[in-house]
Amino acid sequence: MAPKLSLKICHLYPDLMDTYGDTGNIITLQKRCQWRGIKTNVSSISAGEDIKGDFDFFFFGGGQNKTQLTIAHDLQKKKHSIKTAVENSAVLLSVCGGYQLLQNYFKTKDGEIIKGIGLFDAYTQGSDDRMIQNLLIEISPDLENKIKETYPITQSPSHPVTQLIGFENHSGKTYLGKNLKPLGTVIKGAGNNGQDQTEGAVYKNAFGCYLHGSLLPKNPHFADYLIAKALEHRYGKTNLKPLDDSFEWEAHNQSVKITRSRG
Amino acid sequence: MGRGHQLLLLPNGNPLKFVNMDLRFYLALIVGKITAFVLKLKGSGATAAPGLYALNIDPNFVKKFSKQITNGSIIICGTNGKTTTSRITSDLLSSKYKIIHNRQGSNLLRGLASTFINKSSFLGKVDCHIALWEIDEAVLPHVIKDTNPKTLVLLNLFRDQLDRYGEIDSIRKSWQTMLLNLPKTTQVILNEDDPGIKYLEKFTSGKITTFGIEDKKINLPQTTNISDIKQCPNCSAKLIYTSTFSAHMGHYACTSCSLKRTTPIISASNLIFERGFKTSIQLTLDNQKLSLNLKIPGLYNVYNILAASAIAYSENLDGKFIKNTLQHFASAFGRYQKFNVNGKEIIVFLIKNPTGANEILKTISLEEKLNILVILNDKIADGKDVSWIWDTNWEIISKKVGNIFVSGSRSWDLANRLKYAGFKLSNKNVCKQINYSITQALASSNNKDTLLILPTYTALLETQKILSKLSRQEKWHQN
Repeated sequence: MAPKLSLKICHLYPDLMDTYGDTGNIITLQKRCQWRGIKTNVSSISAGEDIKGDFDFFFFGGGQNKTQLTIAHDLQKKKHSIKTAVENSAVLLSVCGGYQLLQNYFKTKDGEIIKGIGLFDAYTQGSDDRMIQNLLIEISPDLENKIKETYPITQSPSHPVTQLIGFENHSGKTYLGKNLKPLGTVIKGAGNNGQDQTEGAVYKNAFGCYLHGSLLPKNPHFADYLIAKALEHRYGKTNLKPLDDSFEWEAHNQSVKITRSRG
Repeated sequence: MGRGHQLLLLPNGNPLKFVNMDLRFYLALIVGKITAFVLKLKGSGATAAPGLYALNIDPNFVKKFSKQITNGSIIICGTNGKTTTSRITSDLLSSKYKIIHNRQGSNLLRGLASTFINKSSFLGKVDCHIALWEIDEAVLPHVIKDTNPKTLVLLNLFRDQLDRYGEIDSIRKSWQTMLLNLPKTTQVILNEDDPGIKYLEKFTSGKITTFGIEDKKINLPQTTNISDIKQCPNCSAKLIYTSTFSAHMGHYACTSCSLKRTTPIISASNLIFERGFKTSIQLTLDNQKLSLNLKIPGLYNVYNILAASAIAYSENLDGKFIKNTLQHFASAFGRYQKFNVNGKEIIVFLIKNPTGANEILKTISLEEKLNILVILNDKIADGKDVSWIWDTNWEIISKKVGNIFVSGSRSWDLANRLKYAGFKLSNKNVCKQINYSITQALASSNNKDTLLILPTYTALLETQKILSKLSRQEKWHQN
């Protein structure tokens, strides 16, 4: 028998950044691994704690504006560990506040600059527009092809794996640097800034986005892509056993339908 | 000249004038009354429309009415517990006052206006001594100015429909400014166990009464805690908890500044929660102790009882009477509301945000076996963002469930959440149509089993209609 596979997951600031059901992403990673006999080990790393150990996956969720300030300061001390891990092909998923703090900086409405750690060559500008709605995007073509390679679609051929669906709630507008690729193109909603139709960012295996919802439970193709990449980080290319994703796709399709009809 | 005047002209073209009569107010009242009458004919439950039209004509409509209420108003606000607390308060105060109250929970300014329209004569006279208003937390600072507040009760502040309210820090900030501008004569009743509410003490110049739970431990299962207060609201240092009851409510002290929980004037201790939705507590009103057996379940209802008792205490009501009234209080609309359909018992518990839903799950987890229908809608009043179901600890009841059904416009989001919480759920038990799901759930349960229905707000309205039809109960809005 092959040795049991196991993933080390780092949940960044789970006590401080937990506002929009983003724990659902961690639950999804754990369950989808568990159903395949892959062990997961989740470590919560908060303010004042060092990132120790060789993590395969980092998750960084959204939170309230006030706590984001505290974290911005603490995150500088973790900058090196996170950047090194991503350079060494570890997987990272960040949502909303987490996504913003991993950029170059956040400029508040009052002009104050909150320094990020520059993992994503992007910045966010505070605004008075609150972008609050369902958000549907078309995944960038090269990423889409990679997802198709990893997600075993045999059991649900009727479900296109080309989109991501979630809910956005932010007032910061994110602008990507020239060489940074977006996660996808907005079909419905605002995305990064409500202007250039881009949503999220991809740098190596690090992803940033404004998709709450939670994102991973009803986007199983993306969840599995992240798991496959995390396994690859530890073990080299590994094939994922297909799961029965009928509930996941029902949830995905119901949300897409609502979003397309009433936004 | 305003719209109101132009509509009332004499044949010679001069405006109609009555001595000392405010025509704008009067026109607003008549339009409101006609709207209410038409809506009643149509059998509609829309409670806000008459008030909305009246306020369009006279923005000071509520303010003018409030001047008539000699004892001023009691304002109840907070994320969870407004409706139940104000219903208990109404039962308590009706021994002393004739009350005007927005019982149906229409809690924006237009809801208050509608209540005045409903309760006043055609000349705009209201025969009530005190007003009892539950008010939405986001509009409170704006609405309170029109209400001549005698007492303001702040229950709690949790994350709730972030798509609508925004973050709770911004609501708390708006409350600070409101408190600074309140007259000294307004008494403020605060929840001592919620550090975000306790913190507001320092912005208050009037008399303060506090309430809280004295027990160190509660005999309910623990849920994964979601806390909306990460740091001291006063100085941002770490808060240390010796007891945590629900979300960020408990016994706390700041590690840096002087903010900490102290013994409240109104408190509950010896809390016992038992199977069959029974609750008993010892209620302390300053130096008076009362043992109570309550008909309403759950920790959250103990807080509602405490808040209402604090009001009763400040109104100098007799202890025996308070005890008797509290022990008889059964439930408010959709909050532990019982129905009987063909001999089958149904209990409805409104769920609307993770903290409230977690408290309900803790409460029902005491039962031996659960038959449940959960309904998740995503209309504006429910919150269009359904991600809160992932902050809700469904896991704690997964092993207790016999039959489970899922319904509502976001039925599949919820079904998927339950799948990841370890529930065995058949896709046959998931249906968008609430009517279908209720019939299906009833057909699958036998007469001995109780069916628990957990709907979000708009799903509750629909559930109520369906169950009323099935059990021939009165429509809720006629209560």
